[in-house]
Amino acid sequence: MRVNKEATPYFRLSDVLQYTVGKMELRRSYKYWLVILGFPVHLIVFLFYLLKRRDDTYTLIYEEVRGSLTVSGYKEGTMHDFKEQLLRKHSFFNNEVNEKEIDREVEKLAEEQFRKTLTKKTNEIANLKGVQRVTYSTYFQSLLGKPLFLLASFIPGFFMYLLILLFSNPYVKFIVERLIMSLFVIAGVSVLVFTILYLSPFDPAANILGEAATKEQIASFNQLHGLDLSYLSQLWNALKGIATFDLGASYAGNEDVAASIANKFPITLTIAVLSLLMAVVIAIPVGIISATRPNSFLDYSFMFIALIGLSIPNFWQGLLFILNFSIKLQWLPATYSPQNWLSIIMPVVVLGTALTASVARMTRSSMLEIINEDYIITAKAKGLNRLQVLWKHAVGNAMIPIITVIGLLFGGMLGGAAVTEKVFNISGIGSYIVDKQFIPDIPAIMGGVIYIAITISLVNVLIDILYAFFDPRIRSKMKQS
Amino acid sequence: MLNKKHALKISREYTQANFTWIISLILTVVLLLNSFNFKEGELKGSVFSVFAAYAFFTIFQTILTWMVKRDLLTIGEIRSSTRKLGYVQLFSIVTGNVFTAAFAFNLIKKQKTPEYTFAVYMLLTQVFIIAISSLNLFKSYVADSFLSAMIILLGIMIFQVVTLILTARYVKEESAPAWMMIVAIVLLFTALTGNLFALLLGYSLIVKVRSHDQSKISKWNTMWKKITRNSTAILGLFFIILMFSISVCSTFTFDYDMAVENDYGAILQKPSLAYPFGTDNFGRDLFSRIIFGARISLLVGFASTAIPVVIGGFLGALAGYYSQRTDNIIMRLLDILYAVPGILLAIAIIAAFGANTTNLILALSVGSIPTYARTMRANVMMVSNYEFVDSARALGSADFSIIFRQIVPNSLAPMIVKATLTIGGAVIATSSLSFLGLGVEPHIPEWGNILKIGSTYLESHSYLAIIPGLAIILLVLSFNFLGDGLRDAFDPRMD
Repeated sequence: MRVNKEATPYFRLSDVLQYTVGKMELRRSYKYWLVILGFPVHLIVFLFYLLKRRDDTYTLIYEEVRGSLTVSGYKEGTMHDFKEQLLRKHSFFNNEVNEKEIDREVEKLAEEQFRKTLTKKTNEIANLKGVQRVTYSTYFQSLLGKPLFLLASFIPGFFMYLLILLFSNPYVKFIVERLIMSLFVIAGVSVLVFTILYLSPFDPAANILGEAATKEQIASFNQLHGLDLSYLSQLWNALKGIATFDLGASYAGNEDVAASIANKFPITLTIAVLSLLMAVVIAIPVGIISATRPNSFLDYSFMFIALIGLSIPNFWQGLLFILNFSIKLQWLPATYSPQNWLSIIMPVVVLGTALTASVARMTRSSMLEIINEDYIITAKAKGLNRLQVLWKHAVGNAMIPIITVIGLLFGGMLGGAAVTEKVFNISGIGSYIVDKQFIPDIPAIMGGVIYIAITISLVNVLIDILYAFFDPRIRSKMKQS
Repeated sequence: MLNKKHALKISREYTQANFTWIISLILTVVLLLNSFNFKEGELKGSVFSVFAAYAFFTIFQTILTWMVKRDLLTIGEIRSSTRKLGYVQLFSIVTGNVFTAAFAFNLIKKQKTPEYTFAVYMLLTQVFIIAISSLNLFKSYVADSFLSAMIILLGIMIFQVVTLILTARYVKEESAPAWMMIVAIVLLFTALTGNLFALLLGYSLIVKVRSHDQSKISKWNTMWKKITRNSTAILGLFFIILMFSISVCSTFTFDYDMAVENDYGAILQKPSLAYPFGTDNFGRDLFSRIIFGARISLLVGFASTAIPVVIGGFLGALAGYYSQRTDNIIMRLLDILYAVPGILLAIAIIAAFGANTTNLILALSVGSIPTYARTMRANVMMVSNYEFVDSARALGSADFSIIFRQIVPNSLAPMIVKATLTIGGAVIATSSLSFLGLGVEPHIPEWGNILKIGSTYLESHSYLAIIPGLAIILLVLSFNFLGDGLRDAFDPRMD
């Protein structure tokens, strides 16, 4: 029994299970997971299924029809037809006729045709008699409808049921799928970054211990940091270290890498988040104003400034700020110190400039596109005034692509933080990586890069999930899939 | 009246006139501010005279703008007497104001073919190259090849003036006289100096002389009209070509030793005629260093864009054309690359393989493969549904030939736009990494390296940090303006 209606509310657990399994069977990868997670249950069910199939009426009808078709010489008839068709085709194209090849082709075609007719006829008769064809999946689904079976198989099939339940809700399914995907991406990033650093031709031992180091010293250094192991075991250690936040000690200075990263992460994140806030607060109104007065002097000036903002190198802007506001005017301190909140202003502005510029440009183009949509004209025709149209109908919809862009740019900003941190002498994660790369201190660089990548992936997952809840189009698409 | 207002709106000259006087005014104000030394309260004569010249042409430009507006509002088109005044404004090229000069050329000619625009900017580029190169005359010595190179450049310029006049008089919208072929071929040779406008003009003339396919010519005309309409886009292209051409010519007109050899007799000199931008802490001429830095920035910018365009484009085309499985495998693998911010990945790669120009190019390339693959994939998916692809398939073409002969050429436009917009990003990334000590080797005069030295003299000699930054900003801004212009020209939605 398969329920085919979409989006019907289910109240009984067994109905939910049946419906979801029916849907999951359609995708091969999910099918495998069902079998793997519920292996003991499937093993027993399969044995029962084999027993049941023997006295299946469908199989009986099938055999009967086959017998009658064979007796009536159906196959020979079709073979004759096919052969004639092929011969005519070849003579039309003036092709040379190869008897053997034609016979083989005819045999293949006839066999196919025979099977098709057989299934069709069997289904016809079975339908007349009211018999359903039993396959393993329909059998399994019918079992799911029986409370007794559910009770008995609850413990051995716990993980399978968990999977099915997760997939029964489109939101949960979406979130789980998205999380699993980013898990793969994170693992991939770790492998990639580790491999790049592994391939490095530099020898950290020689760099740190100096030219005069003896062979024994180098060997013991390599052993201490696990550099004498094979690629795969080093990779495994690295992955394990990343997952458990234990990356060991850095090569130089012998400090705990994970702890130093944890110490330096907050300031980078604070500056990035403040820059993001600044960008949103400035850029979105600017973009909306520009879009509502396209090609005006104001629009041109805003977009010109935005383009300049996109073209300024971070470090140069930082230097100019220091020159003007710290050296000449002496308003703000030139370097960052955690005690002085004034000192965070310049880094935030510098880091946020490029983001502000691109969000403003993006808002403008997105708004311009929306303003020319038909439904905005409808809203105007309804007699809404300009502001109502703008705020109720245009802005909300225009924000949708902008949120994605902000998510993506946030990643770039965390990456670009290294330069800003260097200019303002902030000991954040970016300047940490840059400082460590001269050795090269592999665990430190790897940890820094990978944890930033993880943060970015998580931010993007969060945005995707929020999106799914706010954008009705994605919501309906999710339910249909 | 409504009609006339419309004329005001669609007039190319009026838009450009407005843009020109505003930019010109800004430049004038900057010059004015720089002509006073506020600390000592004295006037810098040389800067002030330049300011006076700029102010004169800016005022004239404002008058021209007003006249253009009046003409358009009263008779709906620009009077020929107003256009004649453009000849006066042509003299502003002496002050080096490319904005007013370009406007003057546009005002003079009523019917502007793309060839006319190419010829104008070709000439402007040449004038600027000669002007920049001749600043070397104030130095104590010049490169051995300086004199011969300058003579050649001047000869080319005279030829270009003649070409400009011929183009203005004889080249029509849809055709060119057959004898123009000789001019075109000579132009192609002069493009060896790096003046790519000459290449464009030569190619365009050859197409017009030889081709009888009107649709091809009109397509070419429409595309370039859309790009040249946008005054910022064409000025961006002008600056990029100028930088490129200077990079080529500087091999002969500039002395590399000035940029790299230490001269302890001239440490940290203030800007003067001999050292237009001053000297750094080793007595190296900042002006020469900036000029030689241009080629590194352009090289890295172009190379680190071209490599991912080719690789990403190839992968994206495969992913977009083949089945879901191929698509999934390629795109999921690229997602991994996409998850690491470009500059961090570059830092990791450089940390592993060392800081030099080749590694820098590779490191920057790897990070931007996924973006190009995504763009290409989206386009290929769209284009694969067109009828001509089906027809190619029905004719029995192989998959690879369909992809690379039919689909890819038709999905290149967004890639070109994207590439132009990201070259600017690559230029910034190059200088940022050099600034961190992770990019180009420190002994090479690259803008980021120059800035790094300058940043230590921020308090006492701030020009050492400001000028290379301005160079970076101008180049990046040019690429961004050109990219925006190309996007507007290629985007069918804008029609």
